[in-house]
Amino acid sequence: MNLLPPKRWVLWSLVTFSLVTLSLPTIIIIGASFTTGEIIEFPPDGFSFRWYQRLWELDEFTDAFVRTFIVSAICTAIAVPVGTLAALASVRYRLRFQRTIQVYLLLPFTIPLVVSGIALMIFFGEIRILGNLWPVGLALCLINLPFMIWSVSSTVNALDPELGNAAANCGAPPIQAFFAVTLPAVMPGVITGALLMFILAFNEFLVSLFLTDARTVTLPVKIYNSIRSVITPDLAAVSVVYILVALLAVWLLDRLVGLDIFLKSR
Amino acid sequence: MDRLRLKWLLLDKLEALADRLWPDRWRGATGWLFIAPALLLVGLLLIGLGYMLEYSLHELDLSTYRLRDEYSLGNYAFLIEKPVYLRILLRTLLAAVLVTAITLVLAFPYAYVMVRTPSSVLRKFLLVALFLPFFIGQVVRAYGWLIILGKQGLINGVLVKLGFPTMDLIYNYGAVVFGLVQYMLPFAVLLIVPAITAIGEDIELAAESLGADWLKAFRYVVLPMARPGLVGAGIVVFTLTLTDFAMPEILGGGTTDFIASAIYDSFFQLSNAGLGAALSIVLVTIGSVLVALVFRVTGAGTLSIRDERS
Repeated sequence: MNLLPPKRWVLWSLVTFSLVTLSLPTIIIIGASFTTGEIIEFPPDGFSFRWYQRLWELDEFTDAFVRTFIVSAICTAIAVPVGTLAALASVRYRLRFQRTIQVYLLLPFTIPLVVSGIALMIFFGEIRILGNLWPVGLALCLINLPFMIWSVSSTVNALDPELGNAAANCGAPPIQAFFAVTLPAVMPGVITGALLMFILAFNEFLVSLFLTDARTVTLPVKIYNSIRSVITPDLAAVSVVYILVALLAVWLLDRLVGLDIFLKSR
Repeated sequence: MDRLRLKWLLLDKLEALADRLWPDRWRGATGWLFIAPALLLVGLLLIGLGYMLEYSLHELDLSTYRLRDEYSLGNYAFLIEKPVYLRILLRTLLAAVLVTAITLVLAFPYAYVMVRTPSSVLRKFLLVALFLPFFIGQVVRAYGWLIILGKQGLINGVLVKLGFPTMDLIYNYGAVVFGLVQYMLPFAVLLIVPAITAIGEDIELAAESLGADWLKAFRYVVLPMARPGLVGAGIVVFTLTLTDFAMPEILGGGTTDFIASAIYDSFFQLSNAGLGAALSIVLVTIGSVLVALVFRVTGAGTLSIRDERS
């Protein structure tokens, strides 16, 4: 006698629950952003683009959007060379204290974001660079750096170590070998990492909360501050901008490296 | 043809420059050259932490509202004396346990179905449904839940239409835990997936053909083999929850402070940087000790960046 519920049934009810939980906020935000009413309500009151139009007219949001974009670009521009080289170094070269270095490079993950944010705020305040955008980009790069290293090193692991030697044997000088052999081989990891870094910086809220002021505020901080006062549908419209950016990123990731790369066993 | 020649010329110059800046006999140290920028970057964080440690050892002078010059452990003593901080710590730890357990229960089937399904369309769908929220930040997702669970939100709107009284669905502990589970789910699934991929489907089939029902096959074959992934996901979810700020702030609405909220308040509401720094150091310590313990118990390398094979 087997009274077990069928495997498919159990698995699928859990997966369905997860799917609904994952997608519901996104769908609801999109729906709410098109309301004609003054408040968020369900079902939405009519259909219009008025909140998008209002958003476009509000300089504080468009400015914050541009700043967020700049910060994310700075973060990615630093992370790509730094993270790629670090990943190559820790996998390809036999460094002493390998284990210690690994633990050290994971510090941005082990130290809570709230602590990193305030610690960097204190440090940047002491050396008087707060109030600019680039320290924010630098900080976001720092706290997410393990993602970049991890993306690249998972492709370095798959790379045949003899390739570099083969290139050298064929007479390729070091820089040429690096750009012609090593870099192309780890490119999928570099692309994944760069996308991750950009999108994480674009969404980063907590560390930015400490490092920005009224003149340098970024979009996630702006949304957070607005949530705390009155919730109007223009926030839903801003959030839709985020959803679109996320969609674009998922599409790019799929086109460039394929989402299936995350299904591989490492 | 000319462009090719130009490229070669440039490359030759570059090689020559590289050779001068980093001669061949330093080749052995190239790894260190490569890793130096990352070490320096993370060093900034260490300097910041140094400031934190220093601040935590100075008490606030209530007459001037600045930190005193002399060193003391007064801030730490204060944290131990005041029961409110123990309460906040326990509340946060309990949430971390709950969120980790629920997230793993939901993430494992998701990862399993995603890996095992024969339909590539379904797999792609599950991947996109996972990555989309992953790429939408915490604040926006919390805002979505506010619209759904709020006083005039989706669920209460439906309840009113059906003639039921409205319910308080946000600004409580449950909402915070739920929001956190939703936030952690993509992290957990992505960390579990490689472990499941590594388990050959034939092993499961073998277990089932030997008479194990699917639950037994899961219990004795799949789960133990997927343990590295589960432990890794568990650690990540636990530490991220332990230190989260946005969800308790937005979905808890000030009713359910976590440690991060207490740190924030010490710095910016009480203007007591010493106390906030002491709390930060405590949080860092708790987090590191817990992670180290889990590594000790389950074996290191679960989360390691590189593969031991190489």
